[in-house]
Amino acid sequence: MITTQGVMKSFGRRGEVQAVNGVSFIAADGEITGLLGPNGAGKTTLLRMLATLMIPDSGSATVDGHDVVSDRYALRRRIGVLSDARGLYPRLSARENIRYYGALQGLVGDALDARVDALIRAMSIADIADRRVQGFSQGERMKVAIARALVHDPQTILLDEPTNGLDIMSIRALRDLLRALREQGKCLLFSSHVMQEVSALCQRIVILGRGQVVATGTADELLAQSGERTLEDAFVRLLGSGEGLAA
Amino acid sequence: MDSPRSNSAPARIGVVARKEVVDIFRDRRTVLVTLMTAIAAGPVLMLLVLNLVARQADRVREISLPVIRGEQAPALIAFLERQQVTLTPAPADFEERIKTGDLDVVLEIDAGFAADVAKGRPGTVHLAYDRSRDRARASIAEVESLLRAYNREWGRGRLLLRGVAAEVANPLNVESRDLATPQSSGALVLFLIAFYGLFAAVMGGMAAALDTTAGERERASLEPLLTTPVAPLELAVGKWLAVVALNATAVLLTLSGFYLMLRFAPLPAVGIPFLFGLTELGRFVIVLTPLIALMPAILLYVGCRSRTFKEAQSNLSVLLFVVSLIPIVQMFLQRKEPAWLTWVPISGQYALLSRALRGEALPMIELLQSYAVPGLLTLVALLAVARLFSRESVLAGK
Repeated sequence: MITTQGVMKSFGRRGEVQAVNGVSFIAADGEITGLLGPNGAGKTTLLRMLATLMIPDSGSATVDGHDVVSDRYALRRRIGVLSDARGLYPRLSARENIRYYGALQGLVGDALDARVDALIRAMSIADIADRRVQGFSQGERMKVAIARALVHDPQTILLDEPTNGLDIMSIRALRDLLRALREQGKCLLFSSHVMQEVSALCQRIVILGRGQVVATGTADELLAQSGERTLEDAFVRLLGSGEGLAA
Repeated sequence: MDSPRSNSAPARIGVVARKEVVDIFRDRRTVLVTLMTAIAAGPVLMLLVLNLVARQADRVREISLPVIRGEQAPALIAFLERQQVTLTPAPADFEERIKTGDLDVVLEIDAGFAADVAKGRPGTVHLAYDRSRDRARASIAEVESLLRAYNREWGRGRLLLRGVAAEVANPLNVESRDLATPQSSGALVLFLIAFYGLFAAVMGGMAAALDTTAGERERASLEPLLTTPVAPLELAVGKWLAVVALNATAVLLTLSGFYLMLRFAPLPAVGIPFLFGLTELGRFVIVLTPLIALMPAILLYVGCRSRTFKEAQSNLSVLLFVVSLIPIVQMFLQRKEPAWLTWVPISGQYALLSRALRGEALPMIELLQSYAVPGLLTLVALLAVARLFSRESVLAGK
C-alpha cells in the first residue's frame, strides 16, 4: 500500500519550479491505481520520489509502512519500478539483463535461475531470451524491462507511462499482465496521460494537474463529480481548462 | 519470500563488478582499441627504433667512401684501406646525391695535394656532406676521425724523422671511460618502455570507464539501476573493480609484449643496452599498481559528470594531454629529479620505472611514497563518484 501526505518537490536554483505541490493519496493492495495527468503535471517526479530516487522537500510518503527517505534501502526490496528511463544493457542477453537485477536484489543460485526462467515464460520471450538485447524491438525491450522490474516479486509496482511507444498487441499483453498481478493482491500504481488506458485498467484514478491532486475516485465517481458523460470530458472539466488535450 | 538471498554489500559489489566485466569484454570496439594500443603500439614502435639504431651502427662498421683524385695521396688511400674502408670512385654528380641522401660523405683530394706536400705545405682534402641528415652523421663522424688519426700518424712520423719524441706534440693524453652499464645507455629505448607502461596504465581503462558511467546515463539504464538495493558506493566500487581489471590486463599485455619481443624476436644486433627480463617486468607491475587503481577512479568520476560518451571524451582529452606530457618533459629535463617528485603521481612512477630499467632495485621508502598520493586520490575519487550517483541530478537529461 502506498500512502502520501502533502508531498512537495521543487526544482531550480531557488526552487522556482514547483513540480509536485502537496500531493496526498492512497493506493491500496489488490488494486491498480491510475495516476492521470497531462504532460508536466508532476507524475514522473511523484513516481521518482516513491521509487526513492528523489527526496521530497516536505510531506511524507510510505510504501507498506516504510518511509521513502529514512527506509529507502528496505523499501527498494519491496517495490518494482518501471521508470521513465528504461534502458537495457545492449551487449547483454535478455536473460542476463533480468538476472543482473535479480542478483542485485539478493537472489542467488537456483532461486535466481528459477525466477528468471519463470519471468521469461510469463513474458513469452523464451525464443529471444539468450539473444543480445541490441536488436530488440520496442515491445521486446519493454517486456525485458518489466521482467527486470518484477524479478524480486515486489509487492508494490510503480509504472511510469508503461505503454509509451508500444503497439496494440504489446499494450494488450501488458494489460493482461497487470490484471494478473492485481489478482495476486499486488499494489500497482500506473501513470499515464491517456484516459482510455487508465479507464480500461484502473479501479481508482488520481487526476494530477500542475503538481496537485485535482480529483480522486473510481471512473463513475469522477463522472458524477464533474457532471460529464465521458471520462475525457470529465478529465478536461476537472483540470479546469483545455490544457489536458493541448499538452 | 523464502528463497535464499544474500544481502551483503560485498555480494552486491561482486554482482556489479562481474556484470561490468562481462559487458566490457563483449564490447568489441573497446577491447580491440585497448588491446591494440596496448600490445601493438609500444613493442612495434620499439622494434622500429632498434632497427634504426642498428642500421646506424652498421653504417659505421661497413663504411664506404667515394674518393675523388685518390692518385694525389696514395699514402692516405693506403691508410684508409688498412682501416677497412671501402673506397669507390665518386660519381660526377656527387653533390646532388648527397643532397638527396644517396651518399653520406665524399672525400675530395685537392688537385694540388701532391705538389703542396712535396713543398712541405699542408695538403688539403675536402669533405662533402649534409650534416642535417641524421643517418649520415655517424659516417661523417667516422670519416672525420679517420682523417684526424691519419693526420696524427703522419705528424708523428715526421717528428720521429727529426728525432723528436711524438709526445712533444701531444702533451694532453685523453683517456675516456664510459661508466654506462649496459642498462643505463640507450635512453630513448628506455624512455619508450617506461612511457608505454605509463600510457597503458593511464589509458587502459578509459573507454570502459566512460561506457559504464556516461554510457550508462546515455542509455538511460542508470535510473532503473538506482531503484535496486545497490548503494551508490557499492555501485562505484563495483564498476571501479571491473575497470581496474581491464586496466591491469592492458598493462600486463603491454609489458608482456615488450618482454616477449626483446626475448624472442630476431632483433638487430645492437648489443641491446638494457635489460627487460621477468624481474624488470615484475618491478614495473609493482610501480604501476597505484596508477592502475587510480586512473579508473578518476575516469569514472569524469564519466559520471558527463551526460554522454562524447561529452566525457572531450572532458578527458585535457586531462590525458597533461598526464602524457609529464614523462616527456621529465625526459627532456634530463636533470636529477628532486626528491619530492616521487610523491607526485605519474612523475613518481616514471622516475621509479626509469630506475627499474637501469637495473636498480626499487627503494622501499620511495615506493611507499609513490603509493601514498594515488591511494588517497583513489579513495577520494570513489567517494566522489558515489556522491554523484546519489545526486538527483544524475537522473536529468540523456
